[in-house]
Amino acid sequence: FSPGYVTTILDDAKIYSSHAKKSSVDADDVRLAIQCRTDQSFTSPPPRDFLLDIARQKNQTPLPLIKPYSGPRLPPDRYCLTAPNYRLKSLQKKVSSTAGRITVPRLSVGAVSSRPSTPTLGTPSAQTVSVSAKVGAPVSLAGQRFTVQIPSSQPAGKSATPTTPTVQNVLINPSLIGPKNILITTNMVPPGAADPNPLKRKHEDDDDYDAL
Amino acid sequence: EALLGRGTSAAAVALGGSVATVATSSPGVAAVAAVPPGKGEARGDCRREPWEAGSPCAARSLGSSPLSEQLLLLAGAFAVGGVVVVEDQPDVSAVLSAYNQQGDPTLYEEYYSGLKHFIECSLDCHRAELSQLFYPLFVHMYLELVYNQHESEAKSFFERFHGDQECYYQDDLRVLSSLTKKEHMKGNETMLDFRTSKFVLRISRDSYQLLKRHLQEKQNNQIWNIVQEHLYIDIFDGMPRSKQQIDAMVGSLAGEAKREANKAKVFFGLLKEPEFDVPLDDEDEEGENEEGKPKKKKPKKDNVGSKSKKQDPNAPPQNRIPLPELKDSDKLDKVMNMKEAARRVRLGPECLPSICFYTFLNAYQGLTAVDITDDSSMIVGGFADSTVRVWSVTPKKLRSVKTAADLSLIDKESDDVLERIMDEKTASELKILYGHSGPVYGTSFSPDRNYLLSCSEDGTVRLWSLQTFTCLVGYKGHNYPVWDTQFSPYGYYFVSGGHDRVARLWATDHYQPLRIFAGHLADVTCTRFHPNSNYIATGSADRTIRLWDVLNGNCVRIFTGHKGPIHSLAFSPNGRFLATGATDGRVLLWDIGHGLMVGELKGHTDTIYALRFSRDGEILASGSMDNTVRLWDAVKAFEDLETDDFTTATGHINLPENSQDLLLGTYMTKSTPVVHLHFTRRNLLLAAGAYSSQ
Repeated sequence: FSPGYVTTILDDAKIYSSHAKKSSVDADDVRLAIQCRTDQSFTSPPPRDFLLDIARQKNQTPLPLIKPYSGPRLPPDRYCLTAPNYRLKSLQKKVSSTAGRITVPRLSVGAVSSRPSTPTLGTPSAQTVSVSAKVGAPVSLAGQRFTVQIPSSQPAGKSATPTTPTVQNVLINPSLIGPKNILITTNMVPPGAADPNPLKRKHEDDDDYDAL
Repeated sequence: EALLGRGTSAAAVALGGSVATVATSSPGVAAVAAVPPGKGEARGDCRREPWEAGSPCAARSLGSSPLSEQLLLLAGAFAVGGVVVVEDQPDVSAVLSAYNQQGDPTLYEEYYSGLKHFIECSLDCHRAELSQLFYPLFVHMYLELVYNQHESEAKSFFERFHGDQECYYQDDLRVLSSLTKKEHMKGNETMLDFRTSKFVLRISRDSYQLLKRHLQEKQNNQIWNIVQEHLYIDIFDGMPRSKQQIDAMVGSLAGEAKREANKAKVFFGLLKEPEFDVPLDDEDEEGENEEGKPKKKKPKKDNVGSKSKKQDPNAPPQNRIPLPELKDSDKLDKVMNMKEAARRVRLGPECLPSICFYTFLNAYQGLTAVDITDDSSMIVGGFADSTVRVWSVTPKKLRSVKTAADLSLIDKESDDVLERIMDEKTASELKILYGHSGPVYGTSFSPDRNYLLSCSEDGTVRLWSLQTFTCLVGYKGHNYPVWDTQFSPYGYYFVSGGHDRVARLWATDHYQPLRIFAGHLADVTCTRFHPNSNYIATGSADRTIRLWDVLNGNCVRIFTGHKGPIHSLAFSPNGRFLATGATDGRVLLWDIGHGLMVGELKGHTDTIYALRFSRDGEILASGSMDNTVRLWDAVKAFEDLETDDFTTATGHINLPENSQDLLLGTYMTKSTPVVHLHFTRRNLLLAAGAYSSQ
């Protein structure tokens, strides 16, 4: 630990002395370097009077009453770790789009862009336009969560059954998941039912993982 | 009269910080507050009470003769005229400036040895009490020298006198020896707290008079200044204490506890259990009716709650703090509990519990926390590699709830839907929970077995669901390692304590703490709920245990006596007593209602990490780093306590030396320190530890 620490301090001191346009490293520089590093890395707990003060403030508020029968008692969702931290990519494969790769339907999430109504699906490629045209599936907004059901573009023409929302093959941009819990699911026919190259589909998924 | 206030006081007490207070117990005489007139406003404790005739400043200027009391009274009144406000948290710079140069540094050694000589020549009965002065005086004088940058004098002062101090202060002295420069002092929070808070000494009136007379006789006495500023002398009427009694109770970083610190009323009784019918089960009653009589299927009424219809005066009102309602699953659990209780083995000196030891193998000294559910069905281990591992103790495997996909496939109307939601495919004996980024120092199951808490060095407390085995919430509040956490006996609330010297009370549905318990001088190492969930006990590295009221965050009890950081706490099942264990190897027993130490159990030779009372409170089990589990007779330890008014007035009782009588058994493991103890509902003792090969 100590050789690393000393090196760090001396490096910082050198930077400070060159900033002050001094010819050599001074004791003051070293002192400043130590002070800055201490404030940064080696913080110590707050002083006692500060703690007593905030404790007094906190302890004045009465304990909140507990609402009965409220299920699992957890803080608001934004403070929990229960939201999905991934999103799956949707499968618009086979026809190469103008970009030469599989595009993801751009979903402008209502909550983020303050348009809580139906999200628009921006689809540059012709192929996907047809997909969106088929989107007659219900888009349901349920409070803070809404699910978008996109029927898969199956040549077999099977339309997805809206009753079983399965999250498959859709990448969700984590940046689109804002403070509200937005779960975007796409409804794809289970791979078992879709014969044409289920394996190929999976490969394409892997390829285009970094499409976003 | 102007001379009184200004002249000597100014020279002597030109400080920003504290004020000397001498409190007495008898109602007639009262306290004096000598105010430093150096500053514009007066800071420090002051009491609005009639003045004692012994105002220190005045006495010094007028010589030692107890002159006209009126003069002194006037002096007191005059000096105190400037008192404005009670401010007990002076800021740091003011505190540090409290060590302004007051005397010639080279004379410090002389002062100290002068005092030493005086005390050694005093009567035997007083010597023990007056020797309490040595340590705080030594530390404060040393710190003064360091602050005023008399490094060489400080060093020689330390060299000369540090060997005289009591052995139990050696750790502190080692820390002190490393503080040689003024800059060192600024960073050390514990030392800062030590200087700002007053070191409490409890001395009998006679000894105190002796001391005062001696110190006031000498001119220019530095020691009297220090006594005034940094020491709080709690005087009691009674026999001076013997060395043994004193040794039992001193040792904490701030001296002992003031008597009024332990005077608040504490509701140590238990909350009433709700009454409900206990249905008799057929399967459980197999062995009962050998004669083939028809089993009576009358439901048994729960007798526990209905014994005393009127409220126990020592129990808190049911709605003192909001508690979660009893769900159906909780009621079922209680029924199970009662059934098991009926089968419980009654323990006692003749009937010792069997001990079942769960050894964690291949943990590579990484096991840092263990907990077992109340019904002994699951055991969790927190490890230094930041994982939390949950095992099932019973043959039943751990199952998590199915994924959303599968859940939609099941028939929601079927009777065994609760079974069907569980996923059989991933059932296993062990589930590993990842999430923390530092060693996990504390774990706690919720009473309904749905949640698990874990706290770690990364400063967060995590709530895990035991139905999906995923992390639900991370509670961030401590920004420093959290050493211990525990769920309340009724669920919903939990407490955590850490390096930032506070304990926090949280509720699972609030992302910020509900209460902050600040007051300890060093890290809070152990936190436990009282069985009625209204109080929290915290043990700390400053060697004290504090009892806090959940309702308003006040500290209602301070227990001193341990000589090392406290690592284990256990409340007795009836809520009246507290057992504590520390690195000094002693288990101390405390009466919560009276606020007294009522027992000392010596026997262990190393830190005690686990303490547990048996289900009915007859046996206390203690597990320690010395690879043993010891059983103590709790009934005998707590019986015949002579607690009359006199005892509570003086604040201490004579502790009998009966550790050997109370020890019922010592059980050694091969080389496994005992980290956790748990009595099952039928009074089987489970113990846990990690095998360490050395």
